[in-house]
Amino acid sequence: MISEIHRHGQDIEKGSSLGKDAWLRLKKNHLAMGSLWFFVAIVLVCFLLPFVPGIPNPNITHPDLQSMPAFSSATSMEGVNVFYLLGSDHLGRDIFSRILYGGRVSLSVGFLATAVSLTIGVIYGAVSGYIGGRLDAAMMRFVDILYALPFMIIVIILTTYFGNNLWLLFVCIGAVEWLTMARIVRGQVISLKNQEFVEAARSLGLSRSRIIFRHLIPNTVGPVIVYTTLTVPAVMRLEAILSFLGLGVQPPDASWGSLIKEGADRMASDPGLLVYPAIIFGLTLFSLNFLGDGLRDALDPKSSKD
Amino acid sequence: MIPPLRSRNIQQGWVRQLPLLGCRRNPEDSTARRASRFTLTTTPWKSGLILLLGIVVISQVSCRKERKVDMATREKILLLGNGDEPKALDPHLVSSVGDSNILRATLEGLTTFHPSDDTRHEPGVAERWEANDDYTEWKFHLRKNAKWSNGDPVTASDFVYSYNRILHPEMAAPYASMLYFLKNGEAYNKGEIKDFAEVGVKAQNDHLLVCTLERPTPFLPDVVKHTTWLPVHRPTIEKFGTMTEAFTDWQKPGNHVSNGAFQLTEWRINAHVKVRRNPHYWDAENVKPNGINFYPIPNSFTEEKAFRNGLLHYTYIIPANLISQYQEKNDPSLRSETYAGVYFYRCNTSQKPTDNVDFRRALAYAINQETIVKYVKMGGEQPAYGYTPPSEVGYKPPNVIRHDPDKAREFLKRAGYESGKDVPEFTILFNTTEEHKSIAVAIQDMWKKTLGIEKVNIQNQEWKVFQQTLFDMRYDIGRAGWIGDYSDPTTFLGMWKTSDSNNYTGWSNLDYDRLLKESSYANSTEDRYRILAEAESILLDEVPILPIYWYTRVYLISPDVKNWNPLLLDNHPYKHIDLVPSGKETE
Repeated sequence: MISEIHRHGQDIEKGSSLGKDAWLRLKKNHLAMGSLWFFVAIVLVCFLLPFVPGIPNPNITHPDLQSMPAFSSATSMEGVNVFYLLGSDHLGRDIFSRILYGGRVSLSVGFLATAVSLTIGVIYGAVSGYIGGRLDAAMMRFVDILYALPFMIIVIILTTYFGNNLWLLFVCIGAVEWLTMARIVRGQVISLKNQEFVEAARSLGLSRSRIIFRHLIPNTVGPVIVYTTLTVPAVMRLEAILSFLGLGVQPPDASWGSLIKEGADRMASDPGLLVYPAIIFGLTLFSLNFLGDGLRDALDPKSSKD
Repeated sequence: MIPPLRSRNIQQGWVRQLPLLGCRRNPEDSTARRASRFTLTTTPWKSGLILLLGIVVISQVSCRKERKVDMATREKILLLGNGDEPKALDPHLVSSVGDSNILRATLEGLTTFHPSDDTRHEPGVAERWEANDDYTEWKFHLRKNAKWSNGDPVTASDFVYSYNRILHPEMAAPYASMLYFLKNGEAYNKGEIKDFAEVGVKAQNDHLLVCTLERPTPFLPDVVKHTTWLPVHRPTIEKFGTMTEAFTDWQKPGNHVSNGAFQLTEWRINAHVKVRRNPHYWDAENVKPNGINFYPIPNSFTEEKAFRNGLLHYTYIIPANLISQYQEKNDPSLRSETYAGVYFYRCNTSQKPTDNVDFRRALAYAINQETIVKYVKMGGEQPAYGYTPPSEVGYKPPNVIRHDPDKAREFLKRAGYESGKDVPEFTILFNTTEEHKSIAVAIQDMWKKTLGIEKVNIQNQEWKVFQQTLFDMRYDIGRAGWIGDYSDPTTFLGMWKTSDSNNYTGWSNLDYDRLLKESSYANSTEDRYRILAEAESILLDEVPILPIYWYTRVYLISPDVKNWNPLLLDNHPYKHIDLVPSGKETE
């Protein structure tokens, strides 16, 4: 008897989770999948390759070996033999390893600042949306006020006040980027909070925080994931702009933004300095944007199940 | 489904810039506020793009349309690149070369510069001058037709007023020490004497200025050419504040009253300073240019592009990596000249770790000046093994600081550090330009390679902020450059006297002070130079400064500019400079 029911159960169409559906839909989007693998590859290369022996220190200078072409090898006046995969810059530093190390900074800024904005934005938005009323109005007006402040000036003031600190930069960017996230989550929560499952949870006597964190936030995950993938490139771009303005990483360390700035100055005499980091940075930004687009299409519950 | 998300997509600068990707979005979603935010966050990219397009367009159009320099040449307006944004246009507040370039156009001192010979003095406001036998009293006879730009006559009391202003302790002028030549000038500046009447400068009558000096100074006519000795217009200063008030509105265009060949007509921060012909100038008919525009362009790459695109007659500097390109093309607009200046790092001797003399020695000997000159600076500069540049006539400076890794490591041990890893963190501070950054990075790496010092930070600051930071001694190691103010080694050595207003290092050595004082009473020039060399060897032994290179001026100048002669101190009297269309494109 039991086994029969069991067998019968197997005949019913198997339930399919949102995540699985989304993954299947995403897999069909070749552009998004290609972007995903490319991005994973970039992250792995930037974070793991510098540990491989033979990758030169990005800050070691060989002033006598400046502006070397790609795939060249030379002996410096100190008797050190160097191989330049992508050539060298005006101080004889290896461009390839500078791009790798620069990528670590840029990607870390991307992830950390996004994490900061995600944490603040989701909690703020969910609380505001669920509690509603006057608190909601006050919280949202606060967001409006912050929106109205020019971002660049805030970051410039913060960096002049606290000094040029890379970690501060992460926090600064994150602290400014959460505003849109908060709005998105608030909108989601408002549309969700009158649905039956929330009423059910409430009638079971669950606490507010439990409803927010266990019932509402997991249901906003779709738009949040999408928005996150779009925040990462936005944040990386901001870091690039700040580094370009001289407010980001301090020399001799590099980020992709500062490498591009240095390259832009020397593009007439040494185009490689600009071209290589710009290509990598551009491709990374594109891949994240395509991935974000793909995820949005994949996670949109209204899109047809085919 | 998720409207905010869609509108957020529009905020993505990349998507927005590529219509191919942006066409799927609905732009109406974005509210005005977001739109404004979008503009703010992406402006640098957009403006970069516009700039790029602009450059392309300009270079395409330039063959048809008259270039800005050609137009300016026709109108006899000099377009000069001038380094950083001026800190002030007040001769008593400035200390940088760029600022004094502007002041040299607007104000005229007792004597002025000769267009081709540094050692000769052209009469300025003073028609003629004479000294007593031991060069301690100088009489300047002022010309009767010298006038301010508002028509007031320039009198001897204007000079007395100016010297009172710069020396007044409340003014805290950074360059007041240039007037310590005057008797009791130093004492008055330090507040030891309250009455300015005791200072050795008197207006005998309207047209006779008598300077009594502290020590015999045969080269005084050379000294009075300097920015700090320029006169200011008393009624103007007092209209906008008290005598000792700094940065008042008197230096604004419209208010500024000057006595030089030009008067200030426009000053837009970070854009330009414009000066035009002063009709009341006594020698107005012999002033060749109708005006000068000074452009503050701190980025040498931008400046070079501006020059190439016909926006400038003259660049302040040229990026190191472009020099060889110009040399290959045999471009006549590239010029390279000896320049009496030294590039060095100041050490803050009042705090750790640079208070330790052995540590400073270690740093000094670990710098490979030759590498920097040859591979980083690349402008034909000379490596500085000492402090005073070799171009000073007859003076033989001791050149002792030569790159020596073993010596450097030995000094590091003697300073109490077993290895470079034990050295506490310190920072190299420089003002924002690409050259300074490259040099700082190279030196940081030399210290790392030679001494194993790991924790050297590099920090850049905007020029005005940077000057203030140095002045307040809130730095460890600071980039510095010193250009001679007059043709005598004391212009270099004088600043290291105890608490000189240009010292900024906290370094003080009583023997050094004594030798400098002694040198002015020496019997002969040779004897004087010998004493000064002795003083300099003390300086180089205790190294409050780390010498790096001796300047060579490398710059670009349009062939339209005539009478711009090589000068050791690079103080060009603008009134002699002529602009003649050469018909040649500078490209």
